[in-house]
Amino acid sequence: MSGRVIVITSGKGGVGKTTASANIGVALANTGASVCLVDMDIGLRNLDILMGLENRVVYNLVDVVEERCKLRQALVKDKKMPNLNLLPAAQTRDKTAVNAEQMKKLCEELKSMFDFVLVDSPAGIESGFENACAGAEEAIVITTPEMSAVRDADRIIGLLEARKDEITQYRLVLNRIRPKMVANSDMMGVEDVLEILSIKLLGAVPEDEEIIISTNKGEPVAGTDNTKSGLAFRNIARRLRGEEVPFMDMDAKSDTWVTRIVNFFNPVRV
Amino acid sequence: MQVFNWLFKVPSGTAAVTAKDRMRTMLVHDRLELPAGRLEVLEEELTAVVARYFDLEPDTTRFDLQQMDRQAALIANFRLVRSKC
Ligand SMILES: Nc1ncnc2c1ncn2[C@@H]1O[C@H](COP(=O)(O)OP(=O)(O)OP(=O)(O)O)[C@@H](O)[C@H]1O
Ligand SMILES: [Mg+2]
Repeated sequence: MSGRVIVITSGKGGVGKTTASANIGVALANTGASVCLVDMDIGLRNLDILMGLENRVVYNLVDVVEERCKLRQALVKDKKMPNLNLLPAAQTRDKTAVNAEQMKKLCEELKSMFDFVLVDSPAGIESGFENACAGAEEAIVITTPEMSAVRDADRIIGLLEARKDEITQYRLVLNRIRPKMVANSDMMGVEDVLEILSIKLLGAVPEDEEIIISTNKGEPVAGTDNTKSGLAFRNIARRLRGEEVPFMDMDAKSDTWVTRIVNFFNPVRV
Repeated sequence: MQVFNWLFKVPSGTAAVTAKDRMRTMLVHDRLELPAGRLEVLEEELTAVVARYFDLEPDTTRFDLQQMDRQAALIANFRLVRSKC
């Protein structure tokens, strides 16, 4: 088997890399693919919490690299789906604990075991980013529609361009869209950001309180029905598998008195 | 009046449009690693060179940095009156 190694990256911190990694992982596993989530945010371990697996972590990625355990021993299986696995980060080390060569070797091994290897990268553009990218052939760039996040995403895209030989494809996930504000022209929408960054869209995810609730439960929204964000992540997974899925109409229609009356009587839309 | 505003609120359009315009300019500069003010110096020098060869229509010179995909294009526009010989 030779799986796909996809790094999930952003530049700016806190825009949703870990949330996206967990949810895309769950959604891909739901389609039947075998998936390994790799937490490369060494020293700031988060992915295990989002997956609700923090109590099952015994070994971590650094233990594997430093040969204190076998790769299989460090993998933590998801509670519901046996085809979904997590390779946790070390919590007590820092970004220098793993280098690019070691990461490449690790990804080679993971690739032979899984259909998809999703690497959650740390914020920033320094060595942590470089190492997270080391074994990847594809990238997902995450940003929110805020100016500072878009600027940092542009920086990342520049760095990915410079690695064209290794990273052959990258696409954008625009996170935390607020359709009402976009409709009121109070913030940039999907089209605006795509145009500015000149990048292909993989998916758009709305701002959703359910994400906070699901994080607290340790059950990513993509695994449950009836949430807009969950549907967005499931669509992203299908697109990653090569399916043509129409984009959700996130940029709510413009705010006129007609739509105001319609929305008044039909509050749940978008 | 409040009901009126609520019903007929005109989309202001400003914040999103301003953000997009600022982003465009910012990213062109970022990508080129172009320091602030640098372009103005170039404009002055280039205009001086063209003005050695042509009489220029006063105050019509235009200098634009535009984004084309992920690359930048510098578009200079001089209105020429006649050649100086
Ligand atoms: N679409 C969304 N709607 C609401 N909240 C969200 C959404 N996406 C992310 N969040 C929240 O934003 C916060 C940051 O998300 P997350 O940890 O995934 O970002 P990150 O990019 O991994 O951060 P870091 O750079 O620190 O690793 C979390 O509290 C998360 O619950
Ligand atoms: Mg994170």
